[in-house]
Amino acid sequence: MDRRSALRNLALVIGSAALLPRCTMKMPVTHYSHFDVTMDQESLVADMAETIIPKTATPGARDLNLDQFVWLMLNDCSKKADQQAFFKGMGEFNDLTQKLYSKRFSECSKDQKLAVLNTFEKKPGDKDKKDNKYSKDLQAFYGTVKGLTVFGYTESKYFMTKEIVYELVPGRYNAMYPVKNNVKA
Amino acid sequence: MSNLNIDSVKERTFDAIVIGSGMSGGWAAKELTDKGLKTLILERGRDVKHIKDYPTTNLYPWEFKHRGEMPMDVQEANPIVNRCYAFKEDAAHFFVKDNEHPYVQEKPFDWIRGYQVGGKSLMWARQTQRWSDFDFEGPARDGFAVDWPIRYKDIAPWYSHVELFAGISGNKDGLAELPDGEFLPGYPLNAVEEYFSKHVAVTYKNRHVISARCAHLSKPNQIHLDQGRSQCQERTLCQRGCPFGGYFSANASTIPWALKSGKATLRPFSVVESIIYDEKKGKAVGVRIIDSNTKQTTEYYARIIFVNAAALNTNLILLNSKSNRFPNGLGNDSGVLGKYFAFHNYSAHIGAEVEGFTEWATDGRNPAGGGYIPRFRNVYKQETDFLRGYACGLGAYRGYQHSHDGVGEDFKAGLSKKEYGSWYAYSHMMGETIPKETNFVALDATKKDAWGIPQLKISVDYDDNDAKMQKDYVEQLTEMFTSAGFKNIKAETNHQAPGLDIHEMGGARMGNDPKTSILNKWNQVHACQNVFVTDGASMTSTSCQNPSLTYMAFTARAVDHAISEMNKGNI
Repeated sequence: MDRRSALRNLALVIGSAALLPRCTMKMPVTHYSHFDVTMDQESLVADMAETIIPKTATPGARDLNLDQFVWLMLNDCSKKADQQAFFKGMGEFNDLTQKLYSKRFSECSKDQKLAVLNTFEKKPGDKDKKDNKYSKDLQAFYGTVKGLTVFGYTESKYFMTKEIVYELVPGRYNAMYPVKNNVKA
Repeated sequence: MSNLNIDSVKERTFDAIVIGSGMSGGWAAKELTDKGLKTLILERGRDVKHIKDYPTTNLYPWEFKHRGEMPMDVQEANPIVNRCYAFKEDAAHFFVKDNEHPYVQEKPFDWIRGYQVGGKSLMWARQTQRWSDFDFEGPARDGFAVDWPIRYKDIAPWYSHVELFAGISGNKDGLAELPDGEFLPGYPLNAVEEYFSKHVAVTYKNRHVISARCAHLSKPNQIHLDQGRSQCQERTLCQRGCPFGGYFSANASTIPWALKSGKATLRPFSVVESIIYDEKKGKAVGVRIIDSNTKQTTEYYARIIFVNAAALNTNLILLNSKSNRFPNGLGNDSGVLGKYFAFHNYSAHIGAEVEGFTEWATDGRNPAGGGYIPRFRNVYKQETDFLRGYACGLGAYRGYQHSHDGVGEDFKAGLSKKEYGSWYAYSHMMGETIPKETNFVALDATKKDAWGIPQLKISVDYDDNDAKMQKDYVEQLTEMFTSAGFKNIKAETNHQAPGLDIHEMGGARMGNDPKTSILNKWNQVHACQNVFVTDGASMTSTSCQNPSLTYMAFTARAVDHAISEMNKGNI
């Protein structure tokens, strides 16, 4: 991702991001083997990931580069049809945000961002599956960003060394492990 | 010049040749060198040295680029091996890719292979249950295949022999259908598995849930330390190769043991084209190989030859070893070579939620994988509308409970919660299949592999007996789970092709009658007695127990017999 950082820095050198015309923002900045990603698309996924796993007292999605993990996995480990659905769904997601708040997701406030993403989530009291008001592509896009962000987070070095610690060696096996109130006794 | 040739022939002459360095080939090499025989071990793949060639063994999950997932281009280029549960980022380098050694599927067959020193013993699931006379007497009692030429008493001491060296953990359960062995301490069942075990014991006659017996050093003995192995660390990352030698693999155990004797020569990159039969001498004199790097053909010579190439490749080698004496493949006077091929029926599993037991969880990982239900159908007498039966894997687990719903701070915090959720129980079936003449492998008439050897044509399928057995498994396990009070029981059947069980067997079966079998009771080719086949190809029937331990025992027994026959001058 050195190229990406270089381009970002270059953009800062050329002028403030606000002065950069939209058409430049839409130019491909990162080349993956199966697709190119524009700066807009990058920010969208990064902002979504940060909304899903925000920085708190502990690192968030941006700190852990989870957005880059989403792109990597989408490129390397997804079927072509799923990649196409992802980009189609992404367009619909932008339309949805425009419809709700008349601006792009990245320009939304933190609460607005949460509100948009929460429309995809099962609410407390919802019995079965999420409602299907959204198209398959849109749901696939959201599901992919969410799934890969969470996967990247729970499999990150940070999470596996500081939150739920993964022990490589020695392992252990206690068949009868006492538990009280659903936590370690 | 002629002297040079004589020297060259001398250099290429051994007391014994072992084709294959995996589960059974490693055992042949160990036993032969233990008895002082100068032994050549031929391996078609590369060398995999214990510890040194386990590149992923000490990687943390986050150190894998795709956190364990296989890239889609690899998955799409390898539809066959990609169906294997262990073909993941941490162990994919030990599996043969689909295009490396193509074969012809007359019917769908997933041929899962490991072409390297150690073969599939590196990535196997390490379950080691003995067979019993209910298995060895099966074909004769139930009227299929041919009678096994041995009984349990013939192989029992050899089970002990290999168990002591390999290191098998388990409990002495005292079950006739699953004889006890020489065990290291067994891995205990967890709270729900233990409950289910007790429930089944009091509810059903002759059904038992025991700790699975597995090839792990729960508590090593001196013989294991002498191999350079140490206690299993309960990592359950076995498929990567274990730097502790905590589970049995040829790489950690038999192969280095054989090499340490100074009597063994290991030759990787050696694809065996055929076994050379000498018409005048009336026996096999050696093996013709193709070096997979140079494509050069070389012949090696020996008094005895052990064929341990894994069931399908052993069939391929025998079928391709044609001579005037054996125009249809070595030892194939009967015409049964390649036929009566069989496998294990893994076509169903079941899962359920378990209420209660909230005062217990498990901590860490169980190398044995949980419990095992030995076959309970048709054991003492025929009682169903299908022949034989199935064993079941059985396990229960309880993990931290995390909500997948939501986003933001609370959602994030929830992912770190160490609050246990419900218990779940699961089982999968492992069914015996009936070897039939119509399930066979043969050489393809036209297609060749990269070494100019005919491709193997595989024509193996399930039958009505398998379908009935699958149905019975679902019914019985559903009933057992229901009576145990498990909830939300979901049984699933799959349509996995034969082969994905990775328990393919037969084709060069043992038998008393040379007219209907290829091997005698010592795993010797009836009509070419200095050739021994002791891998899965030799199996007369499949039982439903995992077969590797039985291959090991047959191998050690056959080497013992070979040496005694050599000493008598018979071979």
